[in-house]
Amino acid sequence: MWKQPSPANSSFNEFNTFPLPQTQRGQSSHAHHGPVGHTQQPLVTGTSVLGLKYEGGVMIAADNLASYGSLARFRDIQRLHPLGKHTLLGVAGDMSDFQWLKKELDALLREEDALALTDSHPSLSPKNIYELLSNLFYARRSKMNPVWNAVLVGGWDKVKQESFLAYVDLLGTTYTAPTLATGFGAHLAQPLLREAYEAKAGIDGNGPLLTKEEAEKVLEDCMKVLFYRDARSLNKYQIATITSEGVSISDSKSADTYWKFAEGLRGYGAQTQ
Amino acid sequence: MALYHNAPMAHSQEPTAAPIEHRFNPYSDNGGSILAISGKDFSVIAGDTRQSEGYNIQTRYARKVWQLTDKAVLATNGFAADGNNFVKRVKQRLEWYEHAHHKPMGLKSIARMIQTMLYGKRFFPYYVYNILGGIEEDGSGAVYSFDPVGSYEREACRAAGAAQSLIQPFLDNQIYFKNQQPEPGSQPFIPGNLPLATVLSLVVDSFTSATERHIEVGDGMEIYIVMNKGRTTDDLLGEGKLQKGMQIEELGALGEGSGERTFLVRQALKRD
Amino acid sequence: MFLTRSEYDRGVNTFSPEGRLFQVEYAMEAIKLGSTTVGITTPEGVILAVEKRVPSPLLESSSIEKIMEIDSHIGTAMSGLTADARTMVEHARVTSQMHNFTYDEKIGVESCTQAVCDLALRFGESVEDDDALMSRPFGVALLIAGIDEKGPQLYHTDPSGTFVRYDAKAIGSGSDAAQQSLQDAFHKQMTLMEAHSLALKVLKQVMEEKLDENNVQLAQVTKSKGFEILGENELKAVIETLAA
Repeated sequence: MWKQPSPANSSFNEFNTFPLPQTQRGQSSHAHHGPVGHTQQPLVTGTSVLGLKYEGGVMIAADNLASYGSLARFRDIQRLHPLGKHTLLGVAGDMSDFQWLKKELDALLREEDALALTDSHPSLSPKNIYELLSNLFYARRSKMNPVWNAVLVGGWDKVKQESFLAYVDLLGTTYTAPTLATGFGAHLAQPLLREAYEAKAGIDGNGPLLTKEEAEKVLEDCMKVLFYRDARSLNKYQIATITSEGVSISDSKSADTYWKFAEGLRGYGAQTQ
Repeated sequence: MALYHNAPMAHSQEPTAAPIEHRFNPYSDNGGSILAISGKDFSVIAGDTRQSEGYNIQTRYARKVWQLTDKAVLATNGFAADGNNFVKRVKQRLEWYEHAHHKPMGLKSIARMIQTMLYGKRFFPYYVYNILGGIEEDGSGAVYSFDPVGSYEREACRAAGAAQSLIQPFLDNQIYFKNQQPEPGSQPFIPGNLPLATVLSLVVDSFTSATERHIEVGDGMEIYIVMNKGRTTDDLLGEGKLQKGMQIEELGALGEGSGERTFLVRQALKRD
Repeated sequence: MFLTRSEYDRGVNTFSPEGRLFQVEYAMEAIKLGSTTVGITTPEGVILAVEKRVPSPLLESSSIEKIMEIDSHIGTAMSGLTADARTMVEHARVTSQMHNFTYDEKIGVESCTQAVCDLALRFGESVEDDDALMSRPFGVALLIAGIDEKGPQLYHTDPSGTFVRYDAKAIGSGSDAAQQSLQDAFHKQMTLMEAHSLALKVLKQVMEEKLDENNVQLAQVTKSKGFEILGENELKAVIETLAA
C-alpha cells in the first residue's frame, strides 16, 4: 500500500519491486542539489494493521514483517507498541519513522511517569495520546516532512470505562470506528471485521459486542486472508488486547493455511503442459 | 585544442530530464457533502457523516458540522485533516476574542475572520470548503459560504462538497425559485423566507437524493437549526413535526446565552 | 550590592524597597506640567476639550494638535509630553484598522484603550528580539473618547498602563481644580451642548490667559457623526454661551 521507492531510471514502478532510492542512470547523485529536501519515501515498511472493539476491550493485530520493497527483509519485527498501561499503537508504514515515534513517545511517557511519582498527576489517557499523535502527524505533514505511518491507537479509557480505537496517518487524517484497518487491510479485512461486528452489535452498535474468543477468531481469519492476498504480508503475527486490566501482547503465531487447491491451478507451481 | 573540444562534450552528457520526483502530496479528499439554508429568523446547517478516501469508507461517523457560538454553526468539507484543524483554530480565535473584547464574536465577524484565516494560508491552503450559518446581529438567519482561500459572500443557501453539483441546482430551483414563475397576479418570490418545515424537508430530500446518486455521501446526517431569540419552536418540537427516524436534542447555551437556541437533528442515511 | 535609598530611581524597571517604580511615578509628574484637558460623557456622546498654550503671538495656534482621531468612532485628547502620544495614537490607529479589517466591525472603545495601554510598559532593556520600544515610560496621559455598542465611553490612561473609565475627567496642570468643578457640575442627563460649555467653563477657571477660539479646542464623538473636531464657528458659538 505504501508508495515504494521508484526503480532506477523509471518513473513508474507498477509492482513495487524496487526499494532503491531514485537515481537516474548516468547521473551522479550530487546532481540533486539545493536545500535539503524533507520529502522522504518509505523504505522499510510494515503492512496492514487491524483493530476491533469487543466486549470489554479492544484488539489490535499486525504481522511481524518489515519489507524492503518486495524483499521480506526483517521477519521478526514487532509492530505493536504499548504506551503506558492502557494504550497501544499498531503501526504500518515506514519502520524507521516508527522507531523514531517509539523513542519520542517513550520519552514523553517517562516524563509523565516521573511527574506522577511526586504529584497527583493523571496519566495520559488513550484519547490524550491520540490527540498528541494527531497534532504531531498534522504538524509534520504541514511542514512537508511527513511521519510516514498509519497508526491505530487502541486503548481503555479508565474514566469512561470504555474501549478506545482510532486511526491517524501521515496526512494527519483522523477517525474512529468500532473496526479499523490500514493499507490492504482496509480493502480485504475491514469488510470482514464490519460484517462480524454488525452481526451482533447491529448497524448502530447498540447490540452486544463480540466476545474475546469471537473477536480473536475474526482477527485470525482476517490475518489469514491478508497473508493469502497481500504479497507484503507474513504468516507470523501478534494480537494485542487492551482491557481495563491493561495491555497484553500475544506471542507470534501463524494461521493454518491450505494450499492444496492451488496445485490444480495453472500458473501455480511447475507447469506440466 | 583537445581541451576545448572536450568541454561541449561534457556538457552534452548532462542529463536532460530532471530527476523523477515522487513528491509527497499533503492533501486528500474525504468526500461527503454539506449544505446550509437561511430563513427569516433561523438558519439550518447540515452535513452527512461519512468520511471516505477513494472507494474506502474510513468511518461512518465523522463530524463535519460544528457549533461555534450560540448563534453560529460552521460546516467544513474537503480534506478532513485540514477541516478539523481549521475548526480547532477558529474555536481558539473565538476564545481569544471573547477574552479580549468581553463579548462573543458576531456572525459577520466570524465570517470575516474565517476569510483572513483562509487567505493567511493562500500559498498552502486549507483544502476546505466552509459554510457558516447562524443568526446575524439584526436577528435574521444568515448563510456565508467560502472557497478554500477565503473568497466569501452571504447567500440564502449553499451546498458544497462531493454532491454540490447534485444539490445546488435543486436548491437554486427551490430556494431561489430559478426557472419558476409566480402565478399571474400573485406576489413575486422572495428567497430566504421559507418556513422551517419546508427548509427541513428540502435538506432531508437533498441528502437522501445525494446518497442515492453519489457514492461518497451517506451513512448519517446531522442537521443544526439555529433559531433567533423569542422565535416559536412549535414548528420543530410540535407533535409530528419531525419525520420518522429523526432524533432531536437541544444544545445548551455555550456562553451566557443571549436567547438564541440551537437544535441538533440526526437521521440515518443509507449505508451502501 | 545595596543601593542607597535615593538610587532606586535609576533603573527604569527597578522597584524601590517600598514597592514603587520611581520612573513611572516621575512620568506621571510630567503630566501635571501639561496643559489642562477635559472629557465629559453624556447620553448623546462624549466631548473632549483642551487648552492650547500659545506662548507667542507669532505662533500659529492651529499647529498645536492635542486632540486626534483614532478611528471614525474614537478620538483622544492628551496632556503631558505630547510627542510621546504620537506613538500611542499611531498604535491605536493601526490596532483599530486591523480590528476592522479582521472582524468587519468597529473596535470597542475599551479594547482600543487596552491596546494603547499594552504599549505603556514596553520600556527598559529589551530581551533578545522582544521589542521594547522605549528607553523610558511615556510621559503623557490620554483621555480616550468613543462610542460603541455599549454606548458613549470615556477612558483615562496613564504612564503606568492603567486605564479607568470616567463619566468626566480632567488631566494636566489644572486637573485638581478642574476635576472638582466637574464633580460639582456633572450630571448624567447632560446634553452635548451643556457638556461643551461645562468643559470650557472648567478650562476657563484654570487657564491663565483669557479663553478664546485660538487657545482652546473642542471635539465630540456622537452616534450619528462619530468623531469630529469642532470648527472655528462652532467653537465660537460655545464660547458665546459662556459669556451669557
